Amino acid sequence: MMFLRKKFLKYYAQPSIEFPNRFSKREYGFLFFNEQHMIRHVSFARREELLSFLRRNAPAHVYYSSAYYEKPDAPTMPEKKWLGADLIFDLDADHIPGTEKMGYEKMLEVVKNELKKLVSFLIDDFGFEENLSIFFSGGRGYHCHVNHPKILQLKSQERREIVDYITARGLNMSSILKERVVHRDGKNIETSLVMPSIDEPGWRGRMSREMFNFFEKIKKMKKEEAVNYLLSFEGIGEKTAEEAWIDLQDERRMERMKQGLVDLTTPIKKCALRVVEKCRVHGLGRPDEPVTGDIRRLIRLPGSLHGKTGFRVTRVKIDGIDEFDPLRDAIVFGDEAVKVKILKPYKVKMKGEFFSLKEGETEVPEYLAVFLIGMKIASV
Amino acid sequence: MARYPFLQEVKEWVKNEGVSVNEILHDEIYERARDIAIQRVNDAVKKAVVGERALLNETDCIMEIFSYPLARMIVSSIESDFLRRRYALAEAKKAYNSLKNEDNGFIRKFAQEFGIELVEKKIHFADYLKYAPTWHEKWKLVNRPLQKGMIDMSKIEMARLLQEAIRKKLEQELLVLYSPPEARKVFQGAILEIKNSLQKDEEKDVQTGNATILKFPPCMRQLVSAVQSGINVPHSGRFSLVTFLHSIGMDTDEILALFSQSPDFNEEKTRYQIEHITGKISSTEYIPPKCSSLQTWGLCPHEKDKLCEKVNHPLSYYRLKWRKKK
Repeated sequence: MMFLRKKFLKYYAQPSIEFPNRFSKREYGFLFFNEQHMIRHVSFARREELLSFLRRNAPAHVYYSSAYYEKPDAPTMPEKKWLGADLIFDLDADHIPGTEKMGYEKMLEVVKNELKKLVSFLIDDFGFEENLSIFFSGGRGYHCHVNHPKILQLKSQERREIVDYITARGLNMSSILKERVVHRDGKNIETSLVMPSIDEPGWRGRMSREMFNFFEKIKKMKKEEAVNYLLSFEGIGEKTAEEAWIDLQDERRMERMKQGLVDLTTPIKKCALRVVEKCRVHGLGRPDEPVTGDIRRLIRLPGSLHGKTGFRVTRVKIDGIDEFDPLRDAIVFGDEAVKVKILKPYKVKMKGEFFSLKEGETEVPEYLAVFLIGMKIASV
Repeated sequence: MARYPFLQEVKEWVKNEGVSVNEILHDEIYERARDIAIQRVNDAVKKAVVGERALLNETDCIMEIFSYPLARMIVSSIESDFLRRRYALAEAKKAYNSLKNEDNGFIRKFAQEFGIELVEKKIHFADYLKYAPTWHEKWKLVNRPLQKGMIDMSKIEMARLLQEAIRKKLEQELLVLYSPPEARKVFQGAILEIKNSLQKDEEKDVQTGNATILKFPPCMRQLVSAVQSGINVPHSGRFSLVTFLHSIGMDTDEILALFSQSPDFNEEKTRYQIEHITGKISSTEYIPPKCSSLQTWGLCPHEKDKLCEKVNHPLSYYRLKWRKKK
C-alpha cells in the first residue's frame, strides 16, 4: 500500500477533528490519493459517521462547505437550498508575489505577517473577536472563519465589499489626505496634506498611525539603509527615496506632522501613498476571483490532514499568532526513522531541528518523510 | 404618519378604521383619496418621485393614507415590472425627502421596522451593506469609518440608506400584491392612460441590435441589461456606458432610448447628461474609463471572459471582438 495513505490511515484511526457548527447541514468533499476526481455533495447526519468514513478511507484532502443547506447532499445548488454561510478568508502564498522564490518557512512567515494584518482588521474594524477562528491550512497559508450571526446571510456582493475593505480596493485617498492651504502671500500658495488623527476609526486612523510609524522609522535609519528600504516599494525611485530621507531629517517637519500636517514635498507625498500598500492585506486572491465572495465554496476541515504536506489543519489562538510555529505545531507524525530517497537537495527546519538534505538515500524522521514524499521531494 | 403610509403602524390604523375596500373604491367621501392615488402613480411615471401635498388637517392626512393602498392597486393592475420598480423608487424618494428632516429618535424607530438596529447614530456594517449603494465610491465600505463593526452615519446618509430599504420592501410587496377586479373597473381610465404613456417609453426602446451587444465586454453588457431591466444604475455606471456607446458610434437618441427603461428615467435630464458627456453641449468629449477604473468603481463583473485578460480597456475588447469575426 502507498506510503502516505498508510500514514494517513494511522492518523485517522484517532484524529482530532474540530467539527463545524450546523454539522449535518454542511456539504463535505474528499480527494483521495491517486485519484483525480473530487467526491462532493456528501453529508453526514452524525459526527461518528464522518469519523468512520475518514477511518476507512483516509482521504488525501477533506473539505466542508462554508455554507449550510437544507439538503446538503443534493447534487445541484438550487436543490441544496442555501440557508447561509460563514465568512471565510483564505490567505495563500500563491497570491503573494515574490513568495515563489522563498523557502517553505520563509514563505509561511510572509503569510503570517498578512494574517496579523487581517486579524487586526477583523477584530478592530469589523468587531469579530468572539466569532473568529484562525487555522493554519496545512499547506501554504492560513484560513480565518467568521460565524458572527450578522454575516451568515450576506450575499456575494456584500462579502466582496468586506474583501475590498481589507485589501483597500476602491479606497479614496484624497478623502484621507486632504490638501489644505497653509500659507498664502501674493501669488504663492503653499499647501499641505492634512493627516487624519491617529485615533480615528476605519482606514483614516489606520493610515495615519501607519504613516507616522513609517516616517519615524525612515527618519531613524541611516541614509543608505532608508534608500534601500524605500526602493523596495513599487513606484519609488532612488531620487525620491533620497530626498524623502533628507526632508524627514527636519525636526520642525516632524513636529508639524504630529499636529497632523504632512508637508507636501513630492517625495514625502509619494511615500505616503505607498503606506497603503503596507496597510492592506495581500494574499486573499486576485481581486476578480471570488474567494471570500463565493458563498458555496469548500474549505479544509480543521483537524484533517493536508495531502501534500501531512500537516494537520491546526487552530491558531488569536493571541498566539506570534508563538505559533506551523513547522512544529501542525506535525502529527512521529520521530521513528524512515528510509527515503531524496530527489533534489532541500533545506528545512522542522520541530526545531534543521535538516539539510542531499540527493540520494537517507534516513529521516517519519514526520519529515511524510512531508518530503507529499511534496514530491523524496520517494520511498 | 401620513407621510409614511407603508409603515406597519399605518396599516394597523387603516385596519382599525374598519373601512371596506368597497367603500374606498366607491364612496364619494373617498373621491379625493382616489384622485391622489392616480396622482401618486402619475408622479412616479413622469417625475420618478411622488410629490408632496400639504397635510394641514385630519382629512388631508386620512385622504393621503387611503390614497396609498389605492395607488398600489393601480400599479398592481398594470402588471409591468418596470412600473413596479419605478413606483417603488418614487415612493421611497418621497419618504427620503421627509425622513431627512426627522429627529434621530424617529429615524431610530423607523429603522427598526426594516430590521436595522441603530445604536445612537451608528449602524452595523452588515445592515449597512444590505442597503448601501456601494457602487458609488463614497458608499463603498472601505471609505466608511468602521470601528468594532459599527459605522457612524449622518442623518442624511441614514435617510438615503432607508430610502433603499423602503424601495426594496415596496418592490417585493408589489410583486405579490393582489388587485381586486373592482379596482380595475374604478380606475379604468387612469390605468389606460398610464399604460399608454409607458408604451410610448417602450417604443422609444430602439434595439441596438443583438449582434453588436454580443460584442460588448461583460461590464458593458451588464450595464445595458441593468439599465434596460430598470435596475438603478449609479452615475459612474451611466457615465461609463454613455461614453462607451458614444465611442462605438451610437447617437444621442439611440443612447436615450436605451436609458428610457431606467426606473428614474427623466428624458430631459438624461438628454442633457448624455449631450454633456458626449461633448455636444460641452467642451469635453469624454472617453470611456479603462478597466482598472471600472474595477475600482465596482463595475467590473466578476464573470470575466478570456478576452478580458488580454485588454485593459473596454473599447479594445470591442475592437478585438470585431477583428476576430473577420
